[in-house]
Amino acid sequence: MKRLTTTLALALAASVGALGAQEFPKTPPAPEAIKPAEFPPFQEVTLRNGVRLIVIERRDLPVLSISLSFPAGSFYDPAGKSGLADMVAGLLTKGAGTRSANEIAEAIESVGGSINAGAGADFLTIRADVLSPNADLAFGLVGDVAVRPTFPTEEVDLLRQQTLSALQLERSDAGALAARFFAHGLYGEHPYGIRPTETTVQAITRDDLLAFQNARIKPRDALMVVAGDISLADARRQAERALAGWTGAPAAAGAAAAPPMREKTELLIVHRPGSVQSNIVVGNTTFLPTDPIYYSANMATRVLGGGADARLFMILREQKSWTYGAYAGLQRRKGLGAFQATAEVRTEVTDSALVELLTQLRRIGAEIVPAEELANARSAAVGSFPLTIETTNQIAGAVSTAKLLGLPDDYLRMYRTRLAAVTAQQLQDAARRVIRPDAALIVVVGDATRIYDRLKDIAPTRIVDVEGAPIEPSALTVAAEALPLDASKLAARTDSFTILVQGNPFGFQKSTLTKTDDGFLFVEEAQIGPIMSQKTEVTLSGTGETRTVTQAGKVQGQDMKIDVTIANGRATGSATTPGPQGMKSVTVDTEVPGGIIDDNGLTALIPALPWSGTSSWSFPVLASGDGTVKTYTFKVTGTESVTVPAGTFESFVVALSGGQQPATLYITTEAPHRVVKMTVAGAPIEMVRAK
Amino acid sequence: MHRALWRAAGALAVAFAAAPLVAQAPAKVPIERYTLDNGLTVILAEDHSAQVVAVDVWYDVGSRNEAINRTGFAHLFEHMMFQGSENVKKAEHFQYIQRAGGSMNGSTAEDRTNYFQALPSNRLNLGLWLEADRMRSLAVTDSNFANQREAVKEERRLRVDNQPYGSAIFEHSYAIYDSTTCFPYSHSVIGSMDDLNAAKTADVQAFFDMYYAPNNATLVVAGDFQPAEAKKLIQQYFAGIPRGTTPPPVECNATFNSGARVKHVHDAQANLPASIKVYRVPAYDHADYAALELLATIFGQGESSRLNRELVRENKAAVQAVTLLNPFGPRRGPGVFLNLAIANQGVKLDSVDALVAKQIAGLVSGGVTDEELTKAKNIYRANAINSRQMALQLAESLQRATMFLGSPEALNTELARYDAVTVEDIRRVARTYLTPENSLTLLVSSEVIQ
Repeated sequence: MKRLTTTLALALAASVGALGAQEFPKTPPAPEAIKPAEFPPFQEVTLRNGVRLIVIERRDLPVLSISLSFPAGSFYDPAGKSGLADMVAGLLTKGAGTRSANEIAEAIESVGGSINAGAGADFLTIRADVLSPNADLAFGLVGDVAVRPTFPTEEVDLLRQQTLSALQLERSDAGALAARFFAHGLYGEHPYGIRPTETTVQAITRDDLLAFQNARIKPRDALMVVAGDISLADARRQAERALAGWTGAPAAAGAAAAPPMREKTELLIVHRPGSVQSNIVVGNTTFLPTDPIYYSANMATRVLGGGADARLFMILREQKSWTYGAYAGLQRRKGLGAFQATAEVRTEVTDSALVELLTQLRRIGAEIVPAEELANARSAAVGSFPLTIETTNQIAGAVSTAKLLGLPDDYLRMYRTRLAAVTAQQLQDAARRVIRPDAALIVVVGDATRIYDRLKDIAPTRIVDVEGAPIEPSALTVAAEALPLDASKLAARTDSFTILVQGNPFGFQKSTLTKTDDGFLFVEEAQIGPIMSQKTEVTLSGTGETRTVTQAGKVQGQDMKIDVTIANGRATGSATTPGPQGMKSVTVDTEVPGGIIDDNGLTALIPALPWSGTSSWSFPVLASGDGTVKTYTFKVTGTESVTVPAGTFESFVVALSGGQQPATLYITTEAPHRVVKMTVAGAPIEMVRAK
Repeated sequence: MHRALWRAAGALAVAFAAAPLVAQAPAKVPIERYTLDNGLTVILAEDHSAQVVAVDVWYDVGSRNEAINRTGFAHLFEHMMFQGSENVKKAEHFQYIQRAGGSMNGSTAEDRTNYFQALPSNRLNLGLWLEADRMRSLAVTDSNFANQREAVKEERRLRVDNQPYGSAIFEHSYAIYDSTTCFPYSHSVIGSMDDLNAAKTADVQAFFDMYYAPNNATLVVAGDFQPAEAKKLIQQYFAGIPRGTTPPPVECNATFNSGARVKHVHDAQANLPASIKVYRVPAYDHADYAALELLATIFGQGESSRLNRELVRENKAAVQAVTLLNPFGPRRGPGVFLNLAIANQGVKLDSVDALVAKQIAGLVSGGVTDEELTKAKNIYRANAINSRQMALQLAESLQRATMFLGSPEALNTELARYDAVTVEDIRRVARTYLTPENSLTLLVSSEVIQ
């Protein structure tokens, strides 16, 4: 009997195994029932000095998270001192009570904890995380940092320097520029629209920091949230001790300027010369954080641009391949919030991408969202909620945000239920009210010379430079004309140059021009240390126009190659050359104006130009490396006596712009005009004539 | 005054060290481990503190398993695993997870390749189904392979070539080990583009068959789930996947202390030059490893670490100075203790390098203080406890304990290994490993050194 049972059990096990193998489902399993939304309960009391204290007791791990927030965000920066709240926040942990910056770091790190402070648009928050046996230290430090910061002079100077460097860096970051101009365009002179600049950061004194801290970091209106392994009684005792003797209320804030009302869509181009991509931001102001439209508007922006399976991403990236990413979202603030949609697109498709983006913004308000799309967005919204409140720190953050924005007590508990309840009709109604493509601000950061003409019909358009100074459209277009070449001035010759890197010889360049039966052959060989070697051959017609370009070489071990022929008004061929993202290969097939010159052959023609102290020519050039026609400009800016290994020469100083990087050429004032020296802007490299 | 403050700070640190360790130790994680008939190791760890569950699969394959002329395969495979399988089309894995509200990714290191998702707890079945489908039926096609080979090249450009100090840290540092005695740990995870270019689809299929079999994988489910339900689903989805052959062992006979080496690395992205000092260290399960990890914290992690305090804040010679112990995580073979110091504007590379060398020499001759060691232990303990807060981090910790210490249960005893380290241990490991003869120095600069 026992034997039989065993055999039967084995047989059963085998058949279950086999059945399991056969039964691999072809479609994903259906979700199981969702558990009721749970949010850890919290308790609220007010301390003697007026601080609101919220405690969320969670005993499963010995961790403790403390945050202390004040109405002291950049909203309260005084005029001309933008960046003050950020600097105050940055300095609170750099010296407080009896501790120096080093001692604060030492104290908190000694127990494996962390403390930091940061300022947002509305609030300044101090946050500390420790293991719960270190509660004394953590509360003590939070108290010192809030109530007794010392703002040591050397720390103020250090942070100012770091802030200025960051601002400098921001100017070369297209995404950051787009955010800055969008905020200002949307909110105007309202504090949400004002960002720090070099001038305002330089203007901030230590007295300003003390005055701000003294006026705004006050117990009244402050919110402390304590989460983790602690009771309400202990948290209250600790907080009373740490904040003992501290009193007062923040100064009343002056009335803020009203954000501009926008009746129709406007477009601002931030001109970033040479930009290979355009950063687009489209949006409008929305509603106050307590407005119940939030849930429907949230679902609308999810369907529109909430992630990699939302409309903007699927259409602009997956279908059209115009962009690296495209998203939409709501900015929620204490005051008036904002809707924005963003995309980074290739320069050539800026107009198409913007038109499509606006079409999608209109569509979400014009059509009822299909049931399947709504179901997907709903399931993502509901499903992701538990992942956002997994840790004690996340829970404290969620409660703190809800309280600071003035949301009702059941907000977090009901959050995903309310999102899940949004109907297709409510979603559409909210989209109509909140997403306003016909009364929006559009900011595009990119090369205005290449995008203005194609964007200006989309909406009334203004152009500014990266500093915000207006640019007239007429100033963008430089009429390109063929260079006044006199090929009879071209004689067979050889030029040798030494290439210097930071003043040290590091390579050479040698070029030879020879006459052929029906024109010229220009051969140039260059070697820069082990970084680069290349040989270029350009054949020219009898009048100096380019016929063929071949180039082969290596840049940092990678092969580069150009092979382009110009005939019948077209340049055709291929090119593999280095770019900012590494080597890129392009197929060259482009229309070119008559008399076109390839950029590789340009230096061959310098003696054929009628140079004078006022020469200035803008002319079309084929940049065969990326297969496009660009406008280059030669402009004489002065004369200078230049000494190079080949001798001393009186030279025209010639600015060359329009190419990858601006360069300066030094060309002999006497004919035959020859290059004696060349430097490249922003690079420690120059070329000097050897003989 | 100053002295008194320091003494007070010292006393404070000691007071915290004296706090009972039990109070600060996390509760034991309940762990269940079993093996399916096809060899798949399954580890279950329940934790119902949040409504989140993690599904985490580690394949016992990484760059260390790659053959000469076939480097970069392990990482290429990580990409292939998102290209679709029998019932999941390309890009659908991500869509399914996103629509469930979850998150997911994969990564490749020297010793392992991992694939993980964090999900709301009612979608455990989805995570398991997706992992099973690609384990049983990955689509290794010519076009997927060609397309991902390009994606890997793009990633290389983005992360290694176009990232300041990327090529030094992620490529040149591997030269510390000799490829003739230890090929597995002497080549980079990103691998050679020439090797990838030379690879044929058949090579990729062979690699999948060898390493992506259930007997070479460990599945961890951690967080909010019911074990009976999880086991039933795992049996249904994974049991039918056939066992593969046993992969060949990894051979490494690395030599230590083979003489100081200095290498100049040209990096066009490095606006500021940097010194990178790399030292050979033993495997994760070696008795010295805990002391080395605490030493790395003391020396170069955090604002109050020695490198930051001396080089960045006091001397202002560096804008950043940090220590990394095995940048991609633990290894079963020899590893690296890597110190990166990026020179401040106008500071010469030589002088930054000399300052790092001086700090290292100071460690070797003077060791560390009791306060420093207590701090490092407290940081380790806090990290260990904090990492229990997220289901995904718990799953990764269980995987790590299993692969590198032989058992998931090691997670519950790991802390003791660190608490037992003494200042004498630290001094001994500093003397043993942080010597010039055991080092490779990379001098990174955008200038070309002749």
